[in-house]
Amino acid sequence: MSLAAEAFVSQIAAAEPWPENATLYQPLKEDQILLSDCASSLAVQAYLRMCGLPVQVRCRANAEYMSPSGKVPFIHVGNQVISELGPIVQFTKAKGHSLSDGLDDVQRAEMKAYMELVNNMLLTAELYIQWCDDNTAAEISRPRYSSPYSWPLNQILAYQKQWEIRRKMSAVGWAGKSLEQVYEDVSQCCQALSQRLGTQPYFFNKQPTELDALVFGHIFTILTTRLTNDELADRIKAYSNLLAFCRRIEQSYFDEQDKDGQSGSSRFSKGPSLI
Amino acid sequence: MAAPLELYCWKGDWGLPSVDIDCLTVLAYAKFAGAPLKVHKIANPWRSPTGTLPALKTREEGSLSQPSKIIIHLRKQKYNADYDLSAKEGADTLAFVSLLEEKLLPALIYTLWVDSKNYVDVTRCWYAENIPFPLNFLLPNRMHGQQLEKLRLVRGDPTLEPGEEIEKELYRDALECLTLLSQRLGSHKFFFGDSPSSLDAYVFGHLAPLLKIKLPSGKLQQHLNSLDNLRQFCTNILVLYFPSEGRDIPNRKMSVHTDGSDFDNEPHKRRNQILSALFAMGAMLGYAILTGIVTIKRTHPQEALVSAGHDDGGEDDED
Repeated sequence: MSLAAEAFVSQIAAAEPWPENATLYQPLKEDQILLSDCASSLAVQAYLRMCGLPVQVRCRANAEYMSPSGKVPFIHVGNQVISELGPIVQFTKAKGHSLSDGLDDVQRAEMKAYMELVNNMLLTAELYIQWCDDNTAAEISRPRYSSPYSWPLNQILAYQKQWEIRRKMSAVGWAGKSLEQVYEDVSQCCQALSQRLGTQPYFFNKQPTELDALVFGHIFTILTTRLTNDELADRIKAYSNLLAFCRRIEQSYFDEQDKDGQSGSSRFSKGPSLI
Repeated sequence: MAAPLELYCWKGDWGLPSVDIDCLTVLAYAKFAGAPLKVHKIANPWRSPTGTLPALKTREEGSLSQPSKIIIHLRKQKYNADYDLSAKEGADTLAFVSLLEEKLLPALIYTLWVDSKNYVDVTRCWYAENIPFPLNFLLPNRMHGQQLEKLRLVRGDPTLEPGEEIEKELYRDALECLTLLSQRLGSHKFFFGDSPSSLDAYVFGHLAPLLKIKLPSGKLQQHLNSLDNLRQFCTNILVLYFPSEGRDIPNRKMSVHTDGSDFDNEPHKRRNQILSALFAMGAMLGYAILTGIVTIKRTHPQEALVSAGHDDGGEDDED
């Protein structure tokens, strides 16, 4: 897209208010979605709730193929389709909804850096455990990922995905790591997040930002998803301030709205509760 | 005291101690931590113990090649540049290194290895000139392929081709990352106080090539040059920690041919052409003699002359 066209689109985006029928698409919640996608989806939902923007969650078996970037989740707002948290944050900003306006330059730099830390270590670790640990891949990831399809397509798609992720791991230098080293990295990442959070309610004091949404999405999903063993969740449980942080966001942004008795499709879709 | 550890890395140019991002990071960290390393600056990755550069030869763990592992190993040997950092600063280090790897590194790979103008005029040219014969024909292309593959996998786009769209996306992220780093650094000398830490080594490793290598298409460079404090930060480190590199900048004229074909940039072109012509001639002659097309008979000098005449004709056709 040319610069002029892009500027035009963002102008249009800014002019239109947030519609009532905005929709978020993700893979099937019960049978298909995997830990990493579920975490990313929850992060986007948390972000939109923090902004006070209503969105309906729809589960589609082919969400991955509907997405413009091939990654889930994506949102459909008006006549635009945007995938992943980063672009969605930019899009809402163009519409005048932003959580990070109150930060100064250094804080904004730190916020972006910590968001990349979560993507670089936590998300990569989730992908590693899903697809490179043979037990998890055979018992959980491959059957769930390919559940909507019949034989032999399910086998082909699942192995294709696994092959792709494994090559990605070797490109980022994770292929040689053992499972134990990956858990160690997760601990290191949580340690850093826990240090940064300290005793504050949110990462940058009183107001939540997109970083809070991202961390919540990943940590909450890891804590509430059952894998072949509990090692991953146990690593996170060592950091009590992160647990309290997750409960706080869950209570302030997800519980109240459920009580309002909204319609079925916009019902909170994060699954089991922490409390 | 035991013998110093041996570090293998790419040799330097353009006033840099090494031309490679990872090697620069490791070298800078070793300087910051005061680790006495025996550094081998080479231009042939096959001479490194791991087959890649950088590589640190250790006694306990064999040879290490990932910069993060090398730094951890040096830290275990009590060469720790992060000793004075608080826990929060340690967390910040981890976060900003992730920022560099996710946002800046893909754009760096693109600008050095994928952008066709930069790759043909500078990157391939440098590696082909410096890697010894005959590997200089093989390795630059292979490294190009590996870097492109890495970029594709990291971006999650298997059909990624160099082009305007991807370039715009990558550079947007990278420019943002540079601006964020500049804001974080502010007017400080180093990222955490007055002494350099591992984060400074990572930032230096990623920025110094961009600052020093003269690239024909240099959007990233322009932006970095406009951020005074980051430029100053790199220059400072070069002057303070690598004083010997600045002095002997070779006054090499950058060979920027835009009109000639790709082969014009190959070094030792004439020598290689003569060598291959000689080799081809030798092979043809050998084949001719072995299969009996040409027979050498001393008893009939006239016949031999006739055969040799045929042989010459064949070569002319080949050339």
